[in-house]
Amino acid sequence: MSSKDSHLSDQELLLAADGELPPAQAGQAASHLAECWTCRVRKGEIEEAIRDFVHAYRGSLDPLLPSPAGPRALLKARLAENASVSNGSRRKWFQFPGLRYAGAIVLGAVLALLIHFRPAFQSRQALHIVPVSFPEPSLTPGAILAVNRDQICVAKRPKNRIVPASLQRQVFEEYGIPGAEPRAYEVDYLITPALGGAEDIRNLWPQSYSSAVWNARVKDALEDRLHDLVCDGELDLSTAQQDISADWIAAYKKYFHTDKPLEP
Amino acid sequence: MFKDRTLPDLVTSAEAAVVSSEPTALEAEVVALFDQLQDRLLRYLLSTGMTAPDGEEIVQEVFLALFRHLQLGRSRRNLRAWVFQVAHNLAIKHSIAKRRDRQNLVDSDAGPSEEEFVDRAPNPEDQLTRNQRQLHLQRILKALPEQDQRCLSLRAEGLTYREIAGILDMSLGAVAISLGRSVARFVRAEER
Repeated sequence: MSSKDSHLSDQELLLAADGELPPAQAGQAASHLAECWTCRVRKGEIEEAIRDFVHAYRGSLDPLLPSPAGPRALLKARLAENASVSNGSRRKWFQFPGLRYAGAIVLGAVLALLIHFRPAFQSRQALHIVPVSFPEPSLTPGAILAVNRDQICVAKRPKNRIVPASLQRQVFEEYGIPGAEPRAYEVDYLITPALGGAEDIRNLWPQSYSSAVWNARVKDALEDRLHDLVCDGELDLSTAQQDISADWIAAYKKYFHTDKPLEP
Repeated sequence: MFKDRTLPDLVTSAEAAVVSSEPTALEAEVVALFDQLQDRLLRYLLSTGMTAPDGEEIVQEVFLALFRHLQLGRSRRNLRAWVFQVAHNLAIKHSIAKRRDRQNLVDSDAGPSEEEFVDRAPNPEDQLTRNQRQLHLQRILKALPEQDQRCLSLRAEGLTYREIAGILDMSLGAVAISLGRSVARFVRAEER
């Protein structure tokens, strides 16, 4: 905060008006404003500018807003549909007595098989490997940092930072595989940091090495290729980011001119 | 059979049948949040340059995602900020896809898109009724860097600096600086 004799800066006046100053500073600002007409006038000017901006902002956008009834009804319909699909698939099984008996018989048979092949079952469960080749858009929409080409091209093919274990666990949980075997996956950046991707859960997903064709090693090759193209000035950064985040397999095919991964 | 007369035409009969069933507490909660936030969310999306139909679709997607989020028992902490964050991320993906579509059109030499044929200038009647000052301020807003525009729009929608920082993946200080810079421009415009 400015000294007692000087005035509050515009930044401080704005923070005070927005209630964003820490309590101690807010108290000082309030005392200063109580005694300083100059700062009070300036605060009034700032608030007037904000008021005019809000009028202009809303004046240009409010006429475009639809009546709320239609979107609301549509959302209710979609929610009900969603709920009925998930409830329906859960209920159907138990609605028919015949199926209940058949289910019991199948369950018994499965248990018998599991007891018989217990060692094999245990090892597979311990590994808990679910092949994942594609990020789930609702969980991993991608997130980028505000960086430019010069900043990302400082190093040639930089290695991705290892994602902290706690963040990796969060990613596995988000993807419904909390007991996943970490060595079987690369918790990978959808948009690699080498292309400006952020270390953020919205930009991370568990890509399995075990996927037969489109696995983590193939994506690593694509990341290197895009980084090279961007830094050689053959591709702009935003195109590289959008291509790899929209569909990395399509991007691989596009930039390697092939329909299947090349031999390492 | 019961028919909900408040349903608009855009809801299909199959959807109407589903609507008539009793909503769960979770559905009711999501709809209540939708009532509270839909205008603010859509206004924010429109401020990013999105068209109204695209914005409406994204708002729907956001609340369906919220429903799934709550259904899975995930965090309920600050759902308002969560909703804006998901909308913001979907808006980025949407704009990336749009840019790619436009690029493909240019690549295939298909000529300008339908969007480019739209005359965005207001008609003379509208022009007369529009407030010149508002137009001037809108021009200032459009001239701001994209990130400053986003900060300002989110603040205008009532989000706190901390929430804006989370949504736009910026530091708290950067949000304060961005808002200060933008407001200073508006103050200067007032002084002229």
